[in-house]
Amino acid sequence: MTCEEAKTRMTDYWSRTLGEAGETEFNAHLASCETCRSEVSRVGALWQGLDLLPLEEPSGKVRDRFYEMLGAYRQGLAAAEARPAKRWWTIPAWQMAAAAGLVAVGLGIGYGVRGNGPLFGGAPAEVSQLREEVANMRQLVALSLMQQQSASDRLRGVSWAYRAEPSDREVLGALVSAVNHDANVNVRLAAVDALRRFSASPETGRAALQSLSKQTTPIVQVALIDLLVDLKDPQAAPELRRLSGNETANEGVRQKAQWALERLQ
Amino acid sequence: MAEVSAGKVARLAVLFERYHRPLFRYFVSMNGNREQAEDLVQEVFFRMLRYRTSYDPAQSFTAWMYQIARNAGVDQVRKRGTAQVVDIDTFVDRRAELVSASPGPEESVSRGQDLALLRRAMDQLPEDKREILVLSRFQGMKHEDIAEVLGCEVGTVKVRVYRAIRALEQIYFTLEKEKAS
Ligand SMILES: [Zn+2]
Repeated sequence: MTCEEAKTRMTDYWSRTLGEAGETEFNAHLASCETCRSEVSRVGALWQGLDLLPLEEPSGKVRDRFYEMLGAYRQGLAAAEARPAKRWWTIPAWQMAAAAGLVAVGLGIGYGVRGNGPLFGGAPAEVSQLREEVANMRQLVALSLMQQQSASDRLRGVSWAYRAEPSDREVLGALVSAVNHDANVNVRLAAVDALRRFSASPETGRAALQSLSKQTTPIVQVALIDLLVDLKDPQAAPELRRLSGNETANEGVRQKAQWALERLQ
Repeated sequence: MAEVSAGKVARLAVLFERYHRPLFRYFVSMNGNREQAEDLVQEVFFRMLRYRTSYDPAQSFTAWMYQIARNAGVDQVRKRGTAQVVDIDTFVDRRAELVSASPGPEESVSRGQDLALLRRAMDQLPEDKREILVLSRFQGMKHEDIAEVLGCEVGTVKVRVYRAIRALEQIYFTLEKEKAS
């Protein structure tokens, strides 16, 4: 055995994975080579020392979130199976397999996976197809959670909406519906914030404007006005003007509407 | 995983219970951020669910899982790079916090080694070297499985693990000298 060969076997030697014959051979080299002997003991101590590093423990949140996702996914799947148009999971397994690998590479290239080259080969079109499917699954979880009884589940659903594609109209629709109809103020507020993710869609401004005319809770009205200002939606002006002049409206909301009008001009 | 892939989605819970801690530790070792590591664990199980039909029962499950994990990690770096500008100082500070946290008695000196120093050395190790060391040493993965994850030959893995531990040794002794002076 040369020193070069010995070096590549050292980690196996320390881990006791060389096997009996391999170990005998390795020990024979050590007996005859002072350099490798000293290296094995010096670096080996460090190798063993790594065992003593304290282990990090995840918080309980990880488990909660996992089971929540699993539950939502199964429910969403059951609901989606009732809608034959959206059966994206019927894609043949080989195609999925290829695409799953592809998206992995697609994301890896140029972003710091070093030295190994692509794990799989493939065409960009399939990568984008796979991205779309991942988005569909996020959509499934978001939509399913937003329909739950408990407000905290619905809040979770809204936070999943941030992971949906900005062009996802179904998630946008669910958010708008939450802003308009959810019984819980926190869910409505969170949904207004999440609408920002969809700011590129012209529907977002339109929906926010419609919602503003229906809302009666001041804090949600203020959040919607902020959103309209951020969207720089000139069509918001008439509704804002009406609101700022409405004497039955909350004073804070009227001031906010006035402020927004100045901003939009 | 074969069962999950065959449609028994609830079986994923078994895999979760078995692997979420090692995965979490992998991510913490790689990015030094517990919160992000927890997000990434979630993301990996999400993708496992999503890509479950791509799992080949003849393939090593851990290799498949770490392929997903690596790509989820890379994807997160990409998102941080574009969506929110990474505050590199915060990132480094967090790592430093992690390093200086709790030098308990068992950590102080053992076998003539300073574990706090060893941990700092690990953190200073270049990412690719740290990763291969984490996979082989902390995740207990076989060289064959690591080769599958990294997409290289088994022989290459052996050489790279060796180089990584040597690099760690150099950093460790540099830190030790600094400390002594
Ligand atoms: Zn030698």
